[in-house]
Amino acid sequence: MTMKQEKKRIYLRAALGLIALLAVLLALDNLSFVPSMLLTVLRKGAIYALVAVSMNLLNGFTGLFSLGQAGFMLLGAYTYAILTIPAASQKSIYQRYANGGIGFSIPELLSKPLGGFGLLLGVIFCLILAGCIAALFAFLIGLPVLKLKSDYLAIATLGFAEIIRAAVVYEGFGPLTNGSNLLYGFTSFSNFNITLGGFTLHLETVMPFLFSGICIAIILLLINSTYGRAFKAIRDDEIAAEAMGINLASHKRMSFIISSFFAGISGAMLAMYQASVQATTFKSSMTYEILLIVVIGGIGSVSGSIIASFLFIASSEWLLRFLDNETWIGGFRVPLLRSGFRMVVFSVIIMAVVLFFRKGIMGDRELFQKKPASAAKAAKKEVRSK
Amino acid sequence: MKAFISRRDFLKAAGVTAAAAALAGCSSSSGSASGSAAGGKTIKIGVFEPASGDNGAGGKQEVLAIEYANSIAPTVDIGGETYNVELVEVDNQSSTDKAVTAAQELVSKKVSIVLGNYGSGCSIAAAPTFQAASIPAIGCSCTNPAVTEANPYYFRVCFLDPFQGSVMASFAKDQFGASNAYVLSMLGEDYGSGLATYFVNAFEALGGTVTNEQFPEGTSDFSAYIQNAINAGADVIFAPCATTYAAQIITQAASAGFDKPITAGDTWESSVILDAQKGTDVQVYCSTFFDENDDSGIAKEFVTGFKEWLNADSQKLTNNGGNDIVAAVSALGYDGYMVALEAIKAAGSTDGTAIRDALYGVNYDGVTGSITFDQTTGDANKDMAYIKKAADGAFEFVKTQSVED
Repeated sequence: MTMKQEKKRIYLRAALGLIALLAVLLALDNLSFVPSMLLTVLRKGAIYALVAVSMNLLNGFTGLFSLGQAGFMLLGAYTYAILTIPAASQKSIYQRYANGGIGFSIPELLSKPLGGFGLLLGVIFCLILAGCIAALFAFLIGLPVLKLKSDYLAIATLGFAEIIRAAVVYEGFGPLTNGSNLLYGFTSFSNFNITLGGFTLHLETVMPFLFSGICIAIILLLINSTYGRAFKAIRDDEIAAEAMGINLASHKRMSFIISSFFAGISGAMLAMYQASVQATTFKSSMTYEILLIVVIGGIGSVSGSIIASFLFIASSEWLLRFLDNETWIGGFRVPLLRSGFRMVVFSVIIMAVVLFFRKGIMGDRELFQKKPASAAKAAKKEVRSK
Repeated sequence: MKAFISRRDFLKAAGVTAAAAALAGCSSSSGSASGSAAGGKTIKIGVFEPASGDNGAGGKQEVLAIEYANSIAPTVDIGGETYNVELVEVDNQSSTDKAVTAAQELVSKKVSIVLGNYGSGCSIAAAPTFQAASIPAIGCSCTNPAVTEANPYYFRVCFLDPFQGSVMASFAKDQFGASNAYVLSMLGEDYGSGLATYFVNAFEALGGTVTNEQFPEGTSDFSAYIQNAINAGADVIFAPCATTYAAQIITQAASAGFDKPITAGDTWESSVILDAQKGTDVQVYCSTFFDENDDSGIAKEFVTGFKEWLNADSQKLTNNGGNDIVAAVSALGYDGYMVALEAIKAAGSTDGTAIRDALYGVNYDGVTGSITFDQTTGDANKDMAYIKKAADGAFEFVKTQSVED
């Protein structure tokens, strides 16, 4: 069997896997006995999976320690929201600014002549545009910032994210960004539900998985291409990579821009999930959450990031919630359980993971890997020690 | 480096933890069920408030009042049958991205009606979730007009930002004859900058001039802003912002010798402001939702009862900010709970849609005045704000103020 045939088989399997997953989700979405909490967590998990993988592409595969993720998500979220607020409701949403809003909405324009398909097309277009705006800013920031290394790069990108957050709420941009106020009422995942007669086909959970799935697949293809190998070479040893003929500046820039592009898309999806956007949500703590997911999953493992994001979202926002409530077992009041205790427990778990399980769940391996990474690593170590 | 604990052990530990968590989850749900089943049927009321994040302190004060209200009125009659009211509290962490899962948690616990949120952002983010589940929600202190707009399941018991901004503009004009105002709010905070905009619009409509400035998050030196106000010849400062900044503005205004009044919105009715103002000559005024010394006696009864309840438990006292001063948001939380009970009674059902329809017909005399709801938006019909002045560690009632025509 040639390499080409084998590759084809792998892609086919991956595509079939994704379709099967979507089919299961479609079923979950429409069966009434499925807990709604599970669906909400799945939706958010899918979105965080994308942003975690995009951060991993930069931090884990290229070795650039950047903390600007929340800033790029914010750009994507605002771009998406501004473009998709229905023209009719712009006046009331931008109530504090005369002539606020852009006066049209892309999904609305497209869904008039094309119906449901136009809506989907419009949303996809806006998502891509959201990614492009984030990528454009990444390009501009990258010019000065990518000359920095390790911690300095992290500080610079963190600072950038904070600047973006302050700039978006600047009064002068008010007619576009609505200043400090929320943007809401734009196309969200529930708009994809198809109503036929009295029956509604829910697609709220399928759509984020579909979008995230496609984006993550693209990132995977990239990682396994020559570019991906170049990224890994840069991560492992910059001087060696340069000696092999890899253009450091252009590859670093490429990785930074692509990572930001997908962060922008996931920001837009987060906006769809929340049904509202406000700049104050995109604090640096959001970046740290994503960084935690990457660390817990394993730096340099795509499947690790995905698993960790579902684990993280599910445990922080669902499974551990019982810690917040006073609990009585018979006549005995369980000690410590009261509002706020969840955050304490969660912090302790995270500290334990970072201190004792630094490699995370997956290390740098993947879930469906043919050749064990440890063997490759051993080979690498041998080369290094020589 | 050799791994401290092997991967297999880690997975084992993770599995055990997960299993333990699952078990604990089961036991907690069964525990609460058995506790409530003692006295017959139960109706659940969701409490959608922040216990952490920026609004954590204010959210806790609101939750305390709701718990107090629950202790006063622990049952409700539905169609001749007495139901126990069970509060289901959930922490939305003051963040719109956590609000959706928090709201979903309430939906999955099958609450009949929701109280909250403290701030407007989380309410707006959670509104579609409640609407999809046909659960009505009563906002307690979320003053942004967008909360109830286009959200047929959202109601509120407080007044709105445009109203409050206009009231304070009228007050500045009436009380101090001010013609020149200096407005200071925090960049990026929707509450403060919204209120500031409405104040500016109203004050300019009354013929005054305004200098409008914003400070970035985390500012601790306000001397330059105060100097700007003095240089602009301001007769009054309007500074709607969080109490942490308010304390610094007041102390620094005192040290700069600013002798004109400083006014603000409802967040300033807090012990933080009293502590900052104490021992200085700065005049501090704020608008608020209720006056404990009004004629009806309802407010007085609430204040004494609530203080007694707080003082009986040190944990509650800590959650209230370490003292027994009753915040305006607590009064709103109490009213929100009582209005919810009225609506449940009127609906005669635990069904969300029936309760929502009943809410439009509620007429309740609460701590913050008589409450009826606007038939289209679901906002409480309020045409009056209470103005209080901070003086030597206590709030003095100044006057009631309505908007000038």
